[in-house]
Amino acid sequence: MRCVRVWFKKMGMSRYVSHLDLMRAMTRAVRRAKIPLWYTEGFNPHPYITFALPLSLGMESLCESMDMRIEGDSTNEEIFLMLKSSMPPGIEITDVKDPVHDPKKITFGEFDIFFDCEKGTDELVSLIAEMLNSDELIVQKLGKKGRHKVLKDINLIEFIKEYKIGKLGDRVKLTVILPAGSTTNVNPSLLADEIQKRYAEAVTYSIVRKQLLLENAERFE
Amino acid sequence: MISKEVEKILPLVQKPGRYTGGELNSVVKDKSKVDLRYAFCFPDSYEIGMSHLGIKILYSGANAREDVWCERVFAPWHDMEKEMRERNIPLYALESGDPLSEFDLIGFTLQYELSYTNVLNMLDLAGIPVRAKDRTALTPIVVGGGPCVCNPEPMADFFDIFSLGDGEEISDEIFDLLIDCKKNGSTKAEFLEKAAQIKGVYVPSLYDIEYNEDGTIGKVVPKGAAPEKVTKRVVADLDKVHYPEKFIVPFVEVVHDRVVHEILRGCIRGCRFCQAGFIYRPIREKSADTINTQCRRLCESTGYDEISLSSLSTSDYTHLEELMEKLLEWTEKDKVNIALPSLRVDNFSEKLMGYLSRVRRSGLTFAPEAGTQRLRDAINKNVTEEEMLSTARKSFSGGWTAVKLYFMLGLPTETYDDVAGIAELAQKVVNEFYNNPDRPKGKGVQVSISVASFVPKPFTPFQWEAQDTIDELIRKQEHLLSNVRTKKISVSYHKVNISFLEGVFARGDRRLCDVVEYAWRHGCKFDSWDDSFLFDVWLEAFEKCGIDPLFYTSRKRDYEEILPWDHLDYGIRKQFLIKESKKAYESETTPHCRIQCAGCGSNMINGGKCDALCQSMV
Repeated sequence: MRCVRVWFKKMGMSRYVSHLDLMRAMTRAVRRAKIPLWYTEGFNPHPYITFALPLSLGMESLCESMDMRIEGDSTNEEIFLMLKSSMPPGIEITDVKDPVHDPKKITFGEFDIFFDCEKGTDELVSLIAEMLNSDELIVQKLGKKGRHKVLKDINLIEFIKEYKIGKLGDRVKLTVILPAGSTTNVNPSLLADEIQKRYAEAVTYSIVRKQLLLENAERFE
Repeated sequence: MISKEVEKILPLVQKPGRYTGGELNSVVKDKSKVDLRYAFCFPDSYEIGMSHLGIKILYSGANAREDVWCERVFAPWHDMEKEMRERNIPLYALESGDPLSEFDLIGFTLQYELSYTNVLNMLDLAGIPVRAKDRTALTPIVVGGGPCVCNPEPMADFFDIFSLGDGEEISDEIFDLLIDCKKNGSTKAEFLEKAAQIKGVYVPSLYDIEYNEDGTIGKVVPKGAAPEKVTKRVVADLDKVHYPEKFIVPFVEVVHDRVVHEILRGCIRGCRFCQAGFIYRPIREKSADTINTQCRRLCESTGYDEISLSSLSTSDYTHLEELMEKLLEWTEKDKVNIALPSLRVDNFSEKLMGYLSRVRRSGLTFAPEAGTQRLRDAINKNVTEEEMLSTARKSFSGGWTAVKLYFMLGLPTETYDDVAGIAELAQKVVNEFYNNPDRPKGKGVQVSISVASFVPKPFTPFQWEAQDTIDELIRKQEHLLSNVRTKKISVSYHKVNISFLEGVFARGDRRLCDVVEYAWRHGCKFDSWDDSFLFDVWLEAFEKCGIDPLFYTSRKRDYEEILPWDHLDYGIRKQFLIKESKKAYESETTPHCRIQCAGCGSNMINGGKCDALCQSMV
């Protein structure tokens, strides 16, 4: 038995596949690929498959990973080829590797937020710059207080590690690094929603998770 | 692919994965290369519709043809519908994202009466007039199928044609005719006339209904060359009929998320309340080899880890042990679980129990249906208390601690003693557990009683019966509850208002079309969902349309009365049903078809063949 880390992209319509649905879809894909899975030895044997960090519903990603325990002596390349052809539409296997880091060490995520608006992009760029250059950008985040869910005010500026604003044709692209992981997590849609709210014109956005980072900004692999 | 407009609203709705399409094994074709576009609609939510076996069979069968592209359409949930209506987004099919109005053929499967308003709502969401007479062009043709089509009269004004019986048999002929009519530039009237000549196709607009003064039907007059009786179609050989090699695998979790295999069609039992037990006759079995091969192929193409062997009564399948042996040869190794729903208590063998304990354990469910032997005999359930208790004993020894029991309230001839009998029977099952020395140690027992309200249905021996009123059913529920004296027994029951409405439509006639439309126009949809059910609006609809619903539910009919479905032939002879109805009042049982043919007549629509008959002759 050994553990492999399967890397995949979740783009297009598959961004509407929730985390729980993705776990089922991937387990089925692995079964279709006839990969010799290692099963737990308890009363109710099941395969051991875990995901590094859940992705919010509606977000795309270039850097999803799934760990699974396998039997036999297939190489990573063989596993890659077996999996590639059995993926559901919208999910593309990019690599199969030996795990390097513990998913618990993930601290940050890098995201691209693409804004589409019908009217000029220049005003939007300057609005975003103005918002991110101020000292305070208070938004409400759904948090837990004991067993209850409560809305908490947080200052987004304190959490944004890095950002870059650019234009891409008639779209505005905001690249941002935010806390992601089991201890602190700030969903980039909080920022995108706030921008959407403050902008006078109708604007839609989409978010792509590009990579996950460790505390020392090293890439999670 | 879904449109940009739809993409914009997806982030605003719950479970957007229901509206995207693009699931594994869904079929995408080039629309310019097909002659017929067929939208298969399930008038309920995605999770319900995607669980339905019929849609999988017919979808795959239609798409096996190069000249047809069949796509799926489900009823959008309330939140999605609101967004769609606000933005004028028409209802679209999941594979192409094209609006329903672009399709040639729109098929609805009518599985239960309470989905009727959803049919109207879906047509309307697509901008298609709900009434057949307001759709004057050749296409789209709206066709209905499924069990409710054995009395489709309450929906007659909305459909162009109904397809009676096994869909696999008839679909191709409807496709061919419509393709032909499109090529020849035929009118809709010409299509309907020709369609009426296809065996099993019922064209409601070609029949005039005349009523007597007392509201009953006086006469049904076919127009032109339409046949006097429309006879349902049957698949002669289940081994040769199309069965999908692939199921669409949804991303979103659906109700039945597994490989399903139909091992036999029809039922030998003849329980007198059960419509399915009659309208799917004659009995046809599939061979163990075919089932085994098809199950394995389906597991490979889907990655599912569970197979459900489906039928009306799975333990009546003659090759069940052989099939289980074949399946277990590979399923254990591949970690595939086998579920056997619909087992009977009277032929639940030790060997079968052994097989079941080798697969992953689920709950045990049995359906005594009635609390006393007298009533079980009246409904011809043919199960004795001793059989039930001995099965319970076996299951407790086998390690089970939870048993679910299904019952019905409001059965013909039922008394309050019969109702109390339900609680007594459940108590005996509890006692059986504690008297069993082999029971699982350190655990308690849980007996769950689930009580449905009986609704008389067409083509059953109870089709002439009066249904219990809402008040009477509530009194019976209270009586049952007052007779349960332990927490080991839990009771759940159906909403009686919903059963009442189901009763109206199950045996209703064409005059109810106005009621369906009124109720839908005033907000009724998803009526089978407790939270969406608007009973007051339905009552208002009956009142506004001048229709007394009790005429359909509470009235006991004479055997001589012309029933709204009498011009449809499901192979069951009326004389047989009358005989069975009379026997019910004598609490006299009829042995199942393998012991002795009861002469229902259904083999006659299958060239004289019936798998139960073959058995008894051997």
